[in-house]
Amino acid sequence: MLVMVNRLLVEPFALPFMQRALIEVLLLGAMAGVVGVFVVLRRLAFLADALTHTVFPGVVIGYLLSGESGIVPGALAFALLSAVLFTVLAANRHVNQDAALAILLTSFFALGVVFVSRRRSYTADLTAFLFGRVLTVDSTQLTQTAVVAVGVSVVLLALRKELLLRAFDPLAARAMGYRVGLLDLILNLVIAIVVVAAVKAVGTILVIALLVVPAATARLLSDRLVVVSGIAITVGMSGGWLGLAASYEASINRGVRLASGATVVLALVMCYLFALGAGPLSRFARGRWTRGRRARGRLVDVQASGEWPDGPRTPTGLTAGTGM
Amino acid sequence: MELGAAGRGAAEADGDRPAAVVFARASIAYGRVPAVENVDGVVRAGRTVALIGPNGGGKSTLIKAMLGLVPVVDGSIQVLGRTPAGARRDVAYVPQADALDPEFPVSVNQVVLMGRYRTIGWVRRPGRADRQIATQALTAVGLAHRGADRFGTLSGGQRQRVLLARAIAQQPTLLLLDEPFNGVDTVSREALLRALGELREAGATVVVSTHDLSLAHLACDDVCLLNRHQFGFGPISATLTPDRLRAAYGGAALALAGDSVIVAHA
Repeated sequence: MLVMVNRLLVEPFALPFMQRALIEVLLLGAMAGVVGVFVVLRRLAFLADALTHTVFPGVVIGYLLSGESGIVPGALAFALLSAVLFTVLAANRHVNQDAALAILLTSFFALGVVFVSRRRSYTADLTAFLFGRVLTVDSTQLTQTAVVAVGVSVVLLALRKELLLRAFDPLAARAMGYRVGLLDLILNLVIAIVVVAAVKAVGTILVIALLVVPAATARLLSDRLVVVSGIAITVGMSGGWLGLAASYEASINRGVRLASGATVVLALVMCYLFALGAGPLSRFARGRWTRGRRARGRLVDVQASGEWPDGPRTPTGLTAGTGM
Repeated sequence: MELGAAGRGAAEADGDRPAAVVFARASIAYGRVPAVENVDGVVRAGRTVALIGPNGGGKSTLIKAMLGLVPVVDGSIQVLGRTPAGARRDVAYVPQADALDPEFPVSVNQVVLMGRYRTIGWVRRPGRADRQIATQALTAVGLAHRGADRFGTLSGGQRQRVLLARAIAQQPTLLLLDEPFNGVDTVSREALLRALGELREAGATVVVSTHDLSLAHLACDDVCLLNRHQFGFGPISATLTPDRLRAAYGGAALALAGDSVIVAHA
């Protein structure tokens, strides 16, 4: 058993290029897990998806202008531009946000396709941009990813109170004097930067899975924000590890070529499906526990006030215990 | 429930108290459509003022204008001697609890602690003093034993009490509540009234919107009668006259003995 685990999960990473790929997906998984929690809380999955598409022309233009080294600056420029555009659009009440996002997404993406179609190696290039090449990550890119991961974590850690309040109760945040538009811009920029950091490894399309799936998985398993963040990071990192190992095993030892980026995404989705199955179980256990606590809580209520507390009479009251 | 037992409506006219909010012929609009027009009056410090009027009459809008969240297009509103937006740090706002996502993974304690965020400032974490203030606020609304539970597992009325606790934790000079008694069960209603009573004793200035006249009698000193424009502003007994109520509610008001007035909603 141990030998099996060792052969499948550890041995592939003796090779230097596999080592670099592993470090890259671990960094990306952790970082995307943290940011993803806010993406899921704010229900920004569609915005993140739009960002992954609007970054695409930047990737292409950067590559056309100065090859491999132009990809990140190009992507960054377009990511920042679209993050600002999205924030401005969201702040405008007269614009239908979904439609505006969809228009930006498709027009930017089309722009990218137009540029890439001018090249002879059209299909191969397109595939690389869309799905990434994690196995060719070099140490410069690793450093870049590490710097971004640290930066993103510092920003989110520093602003987590305010981002939490803004996600939970934007009206109260504004009433307290917080500039909600500014907070939104910062979060959108952070998401954009994560997308750019992940472009090389998993491509513009698959980044969305890194951002959304670990956090959504964690959300199925816990109601406590600290726990949710912890699980999201763990799922993001282990999905990367498992995916890489699986694609190596299939490609090298079984002769079935599996694209590593896509396999990472499938590994993440597997985690999600497991959580989907485990969620009801853990909810059941937790429900029994909270019902007991609530019953005791009511007694305290009665003793304190001398009145009967409010039982689950209202529809909202009924959700206690069963609600997720 | 007993109505206005201590003759609250006859509270002495203490015009020499400083003004917490001054409305000077204020009109408020979303875009070009005026929502409330010509509000004129003064909320004195230490008083509890009810915004009374039918639904859609502009009560919530007026509260948002006091926070600087909707623009005053004509006249002016001064809050604590400043512009509404400039006074936000000393004003606490209690929104309607049912506007919040019950699935949001946040505990009751975390919600109450949010009232401390402005004081704590950026980057720093809540300290022991903040937690203590939050616990006291939660105790004041009678929910100290629910602190560890997820916000969404509480009943609607309990959530409303948690939001009041969050506002109390802000230690504001002025407290604004938007329809806090809407769809709230009896126990929570009593708890809210008790907490508001304590705030009143402690000298807080409170503005609370409600379409429930008996609550205004029970918990407030003054009243602003509102339906698109102002039908009266002043001490309850002098302001909530049958004539004015009929005018504001479009004839759907009935006057009974004494100052208890019942409004039949259409």
